[in-house]
Amino acid sequence: MMPVKRGTDGEPIDVNEAAAQAWALAWQQMMEAGARTVKSNAFLSRTKDDEVAIAETPADLVYQIDKIQVLRYRPLTDKKADLPPVLICYGLFGRQTMIDLQEDRSLVRNMLEAGVDVYVVDWGNATRADQFLNFDDYVDHYLGSCVEHLVDANGGKPITLFGICEGGTFAAALAALRPKLFAGLALAITPIDFHGKPDEFRAGEGFLNSWIGNLDEADVDLIIDTHGMLPGAFTGAVFSSLTPINSMTKYNLGLAAMEGNEAAMLNFLRMEKWIADRPDHPGGAARQWLNQLYRENALVRGELVIGDEKVDLKKIACPVVNIYALQDHIIPVSCSKALSTFIAPDKYHEIGFPGGHVGVFVSRKAQGVVAGGLLEWMQDCLATDAAKPKHAAAKGKKQSKK
Amino acid sequence: MAKSDDNMEQFFNLWKEGQETFLKTQQELYDGFQGALQGASDAGASSMDDPVKTWQKMVALWAPQFENFAAQFDAPIDGNAFFNKGRDAIFAMMDPAHWNKIIPEQLRGILETVAQGPRFADLATPQIDAAHSWRETLDYQTASADLAKVLQGAWGRAYQKFSEDYSLNDLQSGGTDEALEAWLACANKELLDTQRAPEFMDAQRRMIRASMEIKARQRDLAEAWSENYQIPTRSEVDDLTKIVHELRRELRQVKRDLANVRSEKSK
Repeated sequence: MMPVKRGTDGEPIDVNEAAAQAWALAWQQMMEAGARTVKSNAFLSRTKDDEVAIAETPADLVYQIDKIQVLRYRPLTDKKADLPPVLICYGLFGRQTMIDLQEDRSLVRNMLEAGVDVYVVDWGNATRADQFLNFDDYVDHYLGSCVEHLVDANGGKPITLFGICEGGTFAAALAALRPKLFAGLALAITPIDFHGKPDEFRAGEGFLNSWIGNLDEADVDLIIDTHGMLPGAFTGAVFSSLTPINSMTKYNLGLAAMEGNEAAMLNFLRMEKWIADRPDHPGGAARQWLNQLYRENALVRGELVIGDEKVDLKKIACPVVNIYALQDHIIPVSCSKALSTFIAPDKYHEIGFPGGHVGVFVSRKAQGVVAGGLLEWMQDCLATDAAKPKHAAAKGKKQSKK
Repeated sequence: MAKSDDNMEQFFNLWKEGQETFLKTQQELYDGFQGALQGASDAGASSMDDPVKTWQKMVALWAPQFENFAAQFDAPIDGNAFFNKGRDAIFAMMDPAHWNKIIPEQLRGILETVAQGPRFADLATPQIDAAHSWRETLDYQTASADLAKVLQGAWGRAYQKFSEDYSLNDLQSGGTDEALEAWLACANKELLDTQRAPEFMDAQRRMIRASMEIKARQRDLAEAWSENYQIPTRSEVDDLTKIVHELRRELRQVKRDLANVRSEKSK
């Protein structure tokens, strides 16, 4: 005699009928999912790459040294803020186009609309001809020369350097080596303490720290010696593997969930375009990034040498704002916040953004929290006294804006 | 003319002596092998009669691990067993998954012996290079399999967890979307936990090393090809790049020093 199947309520179940119902339900929902996918696929089939535009804010070349260019964004308003010019410096692992991904989510446009004079460093396309370039070249020579040029153009007055991710580490190092060049230093999602506090890492955070920490110097050297560079495809694969399920589902379930919605699809495609444009990282600098910083944590230990001089972060003399992402899976919060121990409290500000690494720039929320917070910090700390808003004087010595 | 004839005669004498020396050396080499093989042979001097067995014994002397390795293949290859197993045996021989069971430890040992052995001036260089290359390929296969195994374990645990947490009843009362979300959350957690585990990181590290060694070998091959066709090799271009890089640095330093001197003088 067949045993009687019972449901969770203890009532007997007609197994055949239950199976038929489950099958019908699953079939119906699969059809619905299929219909959503069809809508997204239809959008993809009629969209051309040219229609997925990023970094459209017009800019002009004002300085060039080897492959490195400094571009000045054209003003979007007649208003001129009484603030030092801002030079934005992205890292070498990605493109600076992230700061201007789309018109309504553009850090650059937010600053331009506030009347700030904005410049950006474009590191260009490094090839194997650039494989021996290291921190001496990128920090001391290239970035240093770009800043010196803008200081000269600014009548000898210091400027604000805004470093992002690896560019933030470069910016912090340069501000420590040549403090007189800087009126202010803004950093975003920037690693300072490359070991951070592993006990505080959330699930999925700090993989780069532990994975690179698990390599030895010879492993890193083998990678760089073999390729000459740190290939963009290699770093891209590593970044994808930090979020395995997201990487596996974004082109199927993720696209289906958008149901062909134009705004959502274009946001997705813009981000994909940015990710796909991942340059090779020059080998010499990559070797230092991985061995000296990630493995040996030389920056916070005061052992990083650039241009024959040890980088002492305590020599940063200008006001600093440190923007970090509270759910950053690439640069955990403790890796960024470590900067606070090196800067005088009355000169140090923080903005903790409730989002992820890239969300700091591309999320809708970031336009208010990050861009707004950055502009407020510039008004409070960098404007001349006459231009300072009245509320600035009432601010505390050290504030954490979250 | 006489002088010319003398030269020719001297040349022929020299050539003849060279040939005699070469043949004598070959004979000595042959005798050496013969003696070595006699030591390992049951039948003594008759060992050279069967060239296959002679070769096997010579390899056994050179790389003792080969005997174990060859034994793995004996069953399907030898006599009736081969024909009886028929199609399966042939497929087993061609299936890399089958090799993987026996190759990594034993064949790797053999290849290591060849690759790390003494290098001769005029003998066996291609074979030694091939042994290096084959060993690296095996290392890569092993490393890939090890990493896949660690990840497979994570997927297995995720299935296990999902099947415990999510029942058919949930599926009937909920929806496929909800079930999918639950499955992805389960898989994500297991994968993230695994990616932090030492066995994953060690497998990842071995995988990186193995893949880089393969790349480096490809580079060596490309360099050899380039050299053969009088094309500048990557190493040569890299050397030049480094020289230019260092020269530019020196020039930059000289310019800075000059500027400092000028600045001091103007004060």
